Amino acid sequence: MVAETKSEVGEASKPKRRVQGNAVVSVLAKQGILIAFALFMLGFALFSERFLSADNVMTVLRQSAIIGVMAVGVTVVVIGGNLDLSVGSMLSFSTVMVVDLHDKLGPELAIPVMLLATLCIGAVNGTLVGFLRLNSLIVTLGMLSAIQGLTLIYSGGQNVDIANQQGTWFAIFGRGQMLGIASPIVIFLGLAVLMHIVMAYTPFGRRVYAVGGNPTAATFSGIRRSRTVFLTYVISALCVGIAAIILGSRVMGSQNNVGQGYELQVLATVILGGTSLLGGSGNVLKTVIGVLILGFIQNGLLLLGYAYYVQWIVTWIVIILAVWLDVAAKRGRLLSPIA
Amino acid sequence: MKTTRRITVLGTTALAGLAFAGAAAAQDDTMTIGITQNNVGVDSYQTTYEQAFENAAAELDNVDTIVLDAGGDVARQIAQIQDLIQQQVDAIIIWPTNGQAVVPAVRQAKQAGIPVVITNSNIAEEGFDFIASFSGPDNITQGSRSAEIMCDRFKEQGIETEAQIVQISGQPGYTTALERAKGFEDRLPEVCPEVTLVETQPGDWNREKSQRVMESFLTKYDDIDGVYAGDDNMGVGALNAAKAAGRAEDITFVGATNFAVGYEAMGRGEYWGSIYQSPVDDAEAALQTAIDVLNGAEVPFLNYFDTPKITQENMEEFDKPVF
Repeated sequence: MVAETKSEVGEASKPKRRVQGNAVVSVLAKQGILIAFALFMLGFALFSERFLSADNVMTVLRQSAIIGVMAVGVTVVVIGGNLDLSVGSMLSFSTVMVVDLHDKLGPELAIPVMLLATLCIGAVNGTLVGFLRLNSLIVTLGMLSAIQGLTLIYSGGQNVDIANQQGTWFAIFGRGQMLGIASPIVIFLGLAVLMHIVMAYTPFGRRVYAVGGNPTAATFSGIRRSRTVFLTYVISALCVGIAAIILGSRVMGSQNNVGQGYELQVLATVILGGTSLLGGSGNVLKTVIGVLILGFIQNGLLLLGYAYYVQWIVTWIVIILAVWLDVAAKRGRLLSPIA
Repeated sequence: MKTTRRITVLGTTALAGLAFAGAAAAQDDTMTIGITQNNVGVDSYQTTYEQAFENAAAELDNVDTIVLDAGGDVARQIAQIQDLIQQQVDAIIIWPTNGQAVVPAVRQAKQAGIPVVITNSNIAEEGFDFIASFSGPDNITQGSRSAEIMCDRFKEQGIETEAQIVQISGQPGYTTALERAKGFEDRLPEVCPEVTLVETQPGDWNREKSQRVMESFLTKYDDIDGVYAGDDNMGVGALNAAKAAGRAEDITFVGATNFAVGYEAMGRGEYWGSIYQSPVDDAEAALQTAIDVLNGAEVPFLNYFDTPKITQENMEEFDKPVF
């Protein structure tokens, strides 16, 4: 909501400088992500007849759900003006924990215990960044390595597995169906819509945009900045916990480093979705598009027979394009910022 | 268990001199063997290896060990090798973090008269002059044995003239991954010339990644008769994907490094075969190789320990892996 308002203001000031090129740039910039998405889908569909088959689309949606759930939480943190790089490492920890406790306590206890532990990690991040005002990059980068260590201590380096994979209702989250659709998809899209409503229509959402956009002004408006930032990290941790349930249930086991590198993929989807790393603007539903772009690129390249390392390079190019278009929209032109 | 982890200067000048001469360890002398491992704790195999190594050393009265771990960090491993040289240990066992980067440090050990045994994954060829022996699994043989398991199964099913398979390999750049893939790809056409390997994709030793790769394979190919995975962890990931797609029954899954999950899936009749590689055998073989070298025994340069085939048919002969 706030994001929309912002760009309208930007457009109003543009005509003074440039009239002709602006229309194209502005359309490109505002809908660039959707245009890029459409082009990708079209391109892959031309080269692989299976790419747009219902089976494959469902597969990609299911595969994207884990990254997607995490991206929903990280979007909230980034809108609040901070970063969360600890999510990948937290995912390893939470998945190892929920899988390990599944056989020890049963799923009905394993899930809440794991969620509680994950929320505690989020609370530590939130306290350090929110209340102590430490730099979020440093805090969460440090947390990334601390949690990796904690995971190894917790598991003693052993892989964990669920013994009875057939008979447990825990399977519903990663392998089952809800409403006739694979559950990870339902959970991911449901969570995204819910979070979009929270961010766009509730006082809390408006506070996050305000704090991310201009912390000083937000403080003077009576917003409790520390608490708002704290809560964004708790939300991010909750999303990681949910992702861990899907991942644990899908794989029915966990390696200690299963989430390694996920933080960058998650951040990439958030940036692709047009959320500004400077905070104060962004949109959860557009992050969903970012997630889908990344998912379809990876899948499309695999179907064409490329190793997914190629995908990393392609992702980089797509991110640079997305950032460029974002900046171009603010400048009102594609090239140099100086007239 | 960790009683032997201490910094010791027991290796006296005399002993060091003997070691240099290639015939160390008189009857009542203690030999000190230092080991620097790749990355303990990162996976179950390496964790079990360390425990097995310490247990094996604890049982021997005349062997002291210094057990170190490089945490996957090449620079730290080089520093650890140099530390062990400074402490004048009698022999050094190295599990290389990087086969290329440790060569200069291995050379220093050789110059200091300390024999080096490489364990698990070999170092680069230019370092071969500086090491006494390599103790570990033969990954090329493992790959070719997996090809034989796969081919034998196709022959039983009578589809050896038409079968199509896909391969999910380990992390690119890893010697183990490259060698297993090479062994498999070289052997398959010899035993089953009409089976086609339609595609290979890396699964990075990661079960979830392998599951995703297999999902794409299942979308892309209507006919998949076999999957060869670089280890059972990835093999079970592929099995998960095929089960979800309802196609697991038609596919023969063969892996390597039999993990507990693979063993269990074999027991359920879902997973066909693998290569049995025990981290305990690996650790004990490394220690024994170092002791043999110090005792002046004849040790083959490539001292492989056996990693037999395991399938649903002979799995009772093996204990369930601990990792």
